[in-house]
Amino acid sequence: MKRQRRTASRVLMALVFLFLYAPIFLLIIFSFNRGNSNTVWTGFSLDWYRSLFQNRLIMRSVYTTLLVSLLATAIATVAGTFAAIGFYSLRRRSRTVLNTVNSIPMMNADIVTGVAMCLFFVAFFTFWGDFSVWFNGVQHVVVLPGRLTLGFGTLLIAHVTFNIPYVILSVGPKLRQMDKNLVDAAQDLGCTWMQAFWKVILPEIKPGIASGALTAFTMSVDDFIISYFTAGSSSSTLAMTIYGMTKKRVTPEINAVSTLLFITVLFLLVIVNLREARAERSGAERRPVSRKLTQLLDTPRGRVFRRGAAVVLAASFLAAVVLLTGATNAQPMVNVCSWGEYIDEDLITQFEEETGIVVNYQTAESNEALYSLLKSGAGDYDVVVPSDYMISQLIEEDMLSELDYGQIPNYALISQRFKGLTYDPQERYTVPYAWGTVGIIYNTSMIAEPITSWSALFDSKYAGNVLMFRNSRDAMATALSYLGYSLNTTVETELREAFQLLKDAKNRGVYQSFVMDEIFQKLEGGNAAIGVYYAGDYLTMQENNEDLAFVIPEEGSNWFMDAMCVLKDAPHYDEAMAWINFIASTEANLANMDYIWYASPNQEALEQYPAYYEELYGEPLDPETYDIIAAPPEILERCEAYLVLPPETRKLYTDLWTELGI
Amino acid sequence: MSKELIRLRDLCMAYDDELVLDHLNLYINDKEFLTLLGPSGCGKTTTLRIIGGFTTPGSGDVLFDGVRINDVPPYKRQINTVFQKYALFPHLNVFENIAFGLRMQRRADPADPKRKTKLPEEEIRRRVLEMLEAVSLKGFENRRTDALSGGQQQRVAIARALVNRPKVLLLDEPLGALDLKLRKDMQIELKRIQQQVGITFIYVTHDQEEALTMSDTIVVMDKGTIQQIGTPEDIYNEPKNAFVADFIGESNIIDGVMLRDQLVQMYGRQFPCLDGGFAENEPVDVVIRPEDIDIVPVEQGQLTGVVTNVTFKGMQYDIIVDFRGFKWLIQTTDHSPVGARIGIKIDPDGIHVMKKSRYSGMYGDYSSFSDEYDELDAVEPEEGGDET
Repeated sequence: MKRQRRTASRVLMALVFLFLYAPIFLLIIFSFNRGNSNTVWTGFSLDWYRSLFQNRLIMRSVYTTLLVSLLATAIATVAGTFAAIGFYSLRRRSRTVLNTVNSIPMMNADIVTGVAMCLFFVAFFTFWGDFSVWFNGVQHVVVLPGRLTLGFGTLLIAHVTFNIPYVILSVGPKLRQMDKNLVDAAQDLGCTWMQAFWKVILPEIKPGIASGALTAFTMSVDDFIISYFTAGSSSSTLAMTIYGMTKKRVTPEINAVSTLLFITVLFLLVIVNLREARAERSGAERRPVSRKLTQLLDTPRGRVFRRGAAVVLAASFLAAVVLLTGATNAQPMVNVCSWGEYIDEDLITQFEEETGIVVNYQTAESNEALYSLLKSGAGDYDVVVPSDYMISQLIEEDMLSELDYGQIPNYALISQRFKGLTYDPQERYTVPYAWGTVGIIYNTSMIAEPITSWSALFDSKYAGNVLMFRNSRDAMATALSYLGYSLNTTVETELREAFQLLKDAKNRGVYQSFVMDEIFQKLEGGNAAIGVYYAGDYLTMQENNEDLAFVIPEEGSNWFMDAMCVLKDAPHYDEAMAWINFIASTEANLANMDYIWYASPNQEALEQYPAYYEELYGEPLDPETYDIIAAPPEILERCEAYLVLPPETRKLYTDLWTELGI
Repeated sequence: MSKELIRLRDLCMAYDDELVLDHLNLYINDKEFLTLLGPSGCGKTTTLRIIGGFTTPGSGDVLFDGVRINDVPPYKRQINTVFQKYALFPHLNVFENIAFGLRMQRRADPADPKRKTKLPEEEIRRRVLEMLEAVSLKGFENRRTDALSGGQQQRVAIARALVNRPKVLLLDEPLGALDLKLRKDMQIELKRIQQQVGITFIYVTHDQEEALTMSDTIVVMDKGTIQQIGTPEDIYNEPKNAFVADFIGESNIIDGVMLRDQLVQMYGRQFPCLDGGFAENEPVDVVIRPEDIDIVPVEQGQLTGVVTNVTFKGMQYDIIVDFRGFKWLIQTTDHSPVGARIGIKIDPDGIHVMKKSRYSGMYGDYSSFSDEYDELDAVEPEEGGDET
């Protein structure tokens, strides 16, 4: 009986550990996978680590993360330690109140903290704008930057803010454990309060400070949500970058960077634990704190220095924040927001080297996410790359700035058939970036007959094997297309008919699941036979699973164009023009096309790509592949671009999508 | 004795509207062993902390050698302190704990008098080792302080304070954490050290026996005011009021009337005594120490009562005797059984007459006496005044 129970508890324990650690081990193992799949093992390789270190987006965000975490930890540790001492010296009742106040931010949902801080900063910037106009008007000695934006400064403030409670929480108990007469004793023996702090309090609470700092650092490195709302467009932490990348797919690079992160934290923990164990075991005499510094600070000059130092420190912190947030104006730079894995990053380096303009490259998850970022005021970008229908909406709402095509000579290289499209008929706002099509991807080893029609997505014979889009516009488009209606129809009966088709298929169990980027794993791993997705992504999948095939159904499909636009009041307008011109060049388009496998709108690039490919890889480009990247005009003719829908239709979409219940 | 060193003038202190010190005046002589004695909350620790500089008085002056030092921070006062529970620095060993004050000291550089310099390391070493020897802790210099016994920690704390050669040593209930035997040894040790170094000791305690054993002068305090100042003998033999009489030793305090000099009336009977200087027929408090009462046969007694409780105390019996509803404590070597009617006799020098005070009627009746009660009384909580 007893033994049984023990066995049961061991099994339970093993299960707990399995669930805790198995995912991490899986991630570590696949970071060494040769191929870029997370499900199929194709051999050992360190390639992903190499490419990780060459990935400037990741490396830059690692740098940002470390910088913000270290700075925030340092500031929060000092501030939190002194705050804890302040709390400690209060009467019990005020202390209890303050401790509660202190713990609320830790319990508070990160999302609330993040949004609140974002709102606060934006409100403060508005105030600052007015203030600086007034201030610069009444005097001319100091010129204050008028426009502050979310950036590293606000990110740092946010991290300091949410770190301080952790430091207070871990220093407080150490202070309470301390004999309250120790400080008196030190002062009695000739210490000023400050000396008593260095010589007596600090050694006593050092373990608390260390664990507080470590917690703060971990929290900082770990934080995503608060950073997301406060970092603005010019800074991106590792967590934010990883999140941006997973929108596309979990690449093995992410496995690699996560593995490194895991090992780093593990390493830190081992060090801390070893130190604690050693201190406990030997109870060895610890060396007294730096006597030099204390001594230095106790000379008469030192006292003046000390008092001054506090003022200078506070002032310089404020100044640093203002500078860091305002610096965006001083330095030639451009803030770009695009999609994940949607650029050959060598191009960024090349542009920076050629022009000296620093590029802050960010990614958004979807057109809708980008739209809400811009609306909230948190997305303070210069250049954005939305899709056709979203561009229409942005123009409608007067959120875009007209381009100075005089500064974009490479616009001439854009193919005529991609100019003056419905979203920008007068060619005032946009320069096309890349285009592609939507089609059916299926596994030929699982589906014997060739698929040619959208009907495959609604056919009971494939029940449980089909993957459908998890967004209303794309999902409805497949049904509308199959029924022969326009993708931009506003006729309610047509829309309801299309919806019914989807709903019936769902009820019949046709769909294994509704997915976005999870489709990569599922199709590559052979977990599903049929899916619907973007052409460029099919080619990426095909690299990992050669059995996959792509077809644009005979009924036609959606084709999309993403184009570069500049936001109204962009702070770096000229730099934005330079960037757009650079990206519109044939060289950049070739490099991008090769990297992302979406088609270029640049006529020369489109024509030269097969030759470029052959030169690069030493083998000719499969013409079929080329046709998938850049659908030939006769296929494109069958396809339709999305237009912005009127509000009532948008609402119907939302309602129907909710009714579908996924 | 000798010259005055510290004077406290009209000190007032309040925490949260509660008066902790109420117009306190006191002077302390050089080389004196002075004890501040009183129950918890009486203001003794606050007084000590004001002298040490850890607390600033609400009003009044602290004079040291005739100079006002109210605003002088602790580290600039020629005063050192032995704290409750010692407050040794846990991260330093015995040597470094004792050397702490010396390492903080700066004095004029002999080479360049304008510059301040640290004490030379060899001087620090010599003085610390000397001090260790003085407190009988030779060879302990490299020990961790938490590896020492309570008595040893106590000695380190004393050495740490004395090594700085202060003019005054403040001791805040320093023996409170020690067991009884050790406490008795340390009392003698402390007195020896004080005589050896020849400086002023200001000692705070709630233990009257400790105060009587060591002090040159005892200051009995209650509710922020001084009740009596005097030598241990004065305080014990001539308590000024019922509070002092009760707090120092055991006392039976009885309502009486001073008929005339050297004659007091209690229970309607007249008792010859040695006190005088009262008005005729002035109501007074009469103190009779339990050991000053002789038990005699009923017919010879000045008073008769019934034994209600007997406790064997080793050297004597503690007997509670009921005299018309008022219970006395009598200490005697003779056994009297419970229920026995006895007579008592009090010599004139066993009777001490005090003026009526606000404490009259509050003390001196042993109705609630029990051993348990006695013990509870002895274990006093820390003084509440220094909570901030």
